[in-house]
This record gives sequence, structure tokens and C-alpha cells, in this order.
Amino acid sequence: MTPSHEIEARLRETAEELLREKRVDLFLGYEKASLPFRTAPLFLTSPEEVKRLAWNPFCTTNLAVYLPRLFKAPADARAAKAAPPPPTVGVVLKGCDTLSVVALIQERQVPREKLVLVGVACPGMVDRRKAERALGEHQALGAGEDAHGNVHVVVEDGTELTLPREEIVADVCLECRRPTPSIHDALLGAPVEAKAPDAAQRRTADFESKGLSARWEHLQKTLSKCIRCNACRQACPMCYCKDCLLDQTRPRWVGASTDISDVTIYHLLRAFHMAGRCTDCGACARACPMGIDTRLLVRKSTQLVEDLYGYRAGEAIDATPPLSAFATDDPQDFLTEP
Amino acid sequence: MSQTQSVQKTASEKDWEPKIVAFLCNWCSYAGADLAGVSRIQYPHNVRVIRVPCSGRVNPAFLLRALQNGADGVLVSGCHPGDCHYISGNLVARRKFALLKELLQYAGIEPERVQFTWVSASEGGRFAAVVEKVVEDVRKLGPNEKLVKTL
Repeated sequence: MTPSHEIEARLRETAEELLREKRVDLFLGYEKASLPFRTAPLFLTSPEEVKRLAWNPFCTTNLAVYLPRLFKAPADARAAKAAPPPPTVGVVLKGCDTLSVVALIQERQVPREKLVLVGVACPGMVDRRKAERALGEHQALGAGEDAHGNVHVVVEDGTELTLPREEIVADVCLECRRPTPSIHDALLGAPVEAKAPDAAQRRTADFESKGLSARWEHLQKTLSKCIRCNACRQACPMCYCKDCLLDQTRPRWVGASTDISDVTIYHLLRAFHMAGRCTDCGACARACPMGIDTRLLVRKSTQLVEDLYGYRAGEAIDATPPLSAFATDDPQDFLTEP
Repeated sequence: MSQTQSVQKTASEKDWEPKIVAFLCNWCSYAGADLAGVSRIQYPHNVRVIRVPCSGRVNPAFLLRALQNGADGVLVSGCHPGDCHYISGNLVARRKFALLKELLQYAGIEPERVQFTWVSASEGGRFAAVVEKVVEDVRKLGPNEKLVKTL
């Protein structure tokens, strides 16, 4: 594992070079945030500012979420003609984030030739909530990475604590299938191997082994916390529709209330829309203010697409997403026969 | 929304009859249902037909909305593979339906609540048999309570 400060230095060099040579108009990265265990997305346009770029165990945000809106053409044809040419964008991506970018390129939301992908091999990012839980009574004032890749924290009375990384790494990172970027123009850090590539599959099978009504009970219990803030949709790089089905009011397909029926339908539809598109970056789960396992249903739709159509989202730019295609011999044993 | 719901509420438990919403494609299944009627084939009256241009038009949101508004079961029927008026609408739909059915089952909704089939314009008898089977399946399950909105 390459230490974060080394990666950070190389990241700054790379960004500086790209901006100085005008190979990118905009560089997307992370910046230290005012609270511990967090970073903020950073949009850089001048090479003088690269000092602000940060790389640490808290760079959780999937920056791919900002890309589609940078390339969205105005709906009006005349406005589209007058619009300035799309920018060239450099962006910092972890392994999971590159999958999102590949899926976005496939769906023609971002042009590959306008992107400079700076990949970083990622050893797994820290889950803020897990870290806060691990601290218990203590209040963190600052956090960083120590020489062994663990997280050291300074708490309110000035004492320093060390949290082992594997204990506070996010669930989604424990299930990661691609820690090292699949496509990149520059790769920082030594490649990392996936530790448990079939962990997500096991969790789906575990849930499935419960009975029908036990699954329903569990789902209702999980989703009853949902406040319908739509943060999971906003944080998802694949949710870029201009007119989301959930926002339509004529007709209103999905009720906006927190009634458990509306909530369940919302999550079912979200899982359905993610089928063959979700790259399991965990952005939805991180965004959820109520700590809901938003990936519960989505994991299944991802698994289904893999089982039925042998497809994994974000693996190849030239592949066709499974729900945009068909085969004449697709399985149809689910059909009702009289 | 709640025409269907209020109807359901007035019916007492004892004389409960399953209510099935059927989305039939204009070119095959709707004509198949029509043929069943014209041929005077008897089939249960529990089915409410909604005509759609193609089974590919059926969005999963339609089915969930029907269940939410008090339908006890949903049936979607289109042309047999290869017979689609729009060449491949039903083939695209087949992938959607396969996923949806599995996903609902995973979420804990009885798989019999949502059923899919193909009925051609010449299969009046098959349409009647399908409806009979769906109604029987749903009758065994009892009223749909899982997704119904009671707010």
C-alpha cells in the first residue's frame, strides 16, 4: 500500500502539470474539510491552487457524480448552438469511481476524449460513522493517516488515538471488486488486489435464504427509517435524468410521502433503474442521513443482471447495457403458462 | 387514487374477490381477450383490462402503482417472441419483467402477485386459461396487503 502523503504529492504534481499545460480546463479532486473524517470536493481551474488538493483515507465521494452535468447540452437547439464548447476535465478516481465513469461513457453522458482520468489505487476508504462509533465518548478534532495506513485521531483533550483501518473501513469497500482503476490516463499508487470480490454476492444469498415474509419484515424495518430526502438519488452518478420519474406529477407514479408503501415503491424502482447500471460505489449508502442500507435491493438487481445476462456494469466501454438490448433466447421460465 | 381502494374496503372479508389488473398489448393479447369474448369462452370476471400499445410500454412503475392502489394481482401479456408489432418490444420487455419478478420476490412480495405471459390474437382459449390461473393463484394468496397505501 502506497502511503497517502506520497499519493497526495504525486496528485498535486499531476494536477499542476495538467492545468499548467492547459490539457484540462477543470480539475476535480478532494480538499481537506473543516470536520474530521471528511473531505470536500474541489474544483480547480488554476495551477497555483493545487496545494489545496488532498488525498487521505476520507476521500469517499465518487467524483463521477459531477461529470454528466458538465457535459449536459442545453435542451433548446439554438441555445445548444451558442453554448461554449464542452470543457476538458481532469478527475481523481478510485477503482470503484472508474466503473461509474465507464458506465457514463457507455450511456453517452460524458465523452471519453474530454476526460483525463487520474486513477488512484484505493486500499478502502473510512466510514465516518464507523469511526465516530469506534471513538465512543470521544470527540475527534482532527484525523489523518499514520505510517502503517491506520487512522490516527486527535480527540478533545489532546490525546492521540489510533484506529485500525480495517475496523473502520466502509462496508462497500470491504465488498469492493475493483480497488485499482480499470481505465486511467495516469495511475497513482501501487495496484491493490480485491480482498473479497464475492462478498456482495454472499450478502445477497444470505438475505435470500430467509423466508419470504422474513425478507419483507426486514425490508419494511430497514425502510421505515427513510425520510424520502432523495439523497441517495442525488449522490448516485448514474442518476442523471433531467426529468426523474420520481419528480413527475402528471401522472405521479411514485408518491412523495414517507408512507411505508411509497417508500418501498421508491426503493424498488430505484433498484430496478439501477439494474445493470449500478457499479456498487456506495455513494447512496454514504449519502443516506438515516444510515439505511440503501444497497440492499440494488445488490440483488446487480446480481440478477450478472446471473441472467452475464453482465457487470462499468467493465467495458464498448459493451451494451443489458436493459438496452435483448437476445432471442433470453430465459423466460418466469412466464405464466396456463 | 382511491377508487379501487374504497371499493375494496366496502367489500367484507367473506365475499372478497381478487381484483386483477391486466395490461394487454394492443396487437396480440387485447385481440386475444377480444376473441375469447367473441367466442363466448367463459373466464373469471376479476380481471380489469388496460390496453397498452406494446408490452414494452409497460413500466414497472405501472405494476407497483396498481398494487399500491389496491389491486390484488397484476397480469402483463404481450405478443409471443417474434410476433411483436414493433419487432422487438416484447423482447426488451422480457428482460425487464424477468428482473422485476425476481426483485419483488427478493423484497418479499409473493411472486404470484405479478405475472407475465404471451397470448396471441388467435389464442382466445389461452387467454381465458391464463386469467383462470392468475385468479386462482391470487385467490390462494388472499388480499394484497403488502404494498397497499392506507394513508
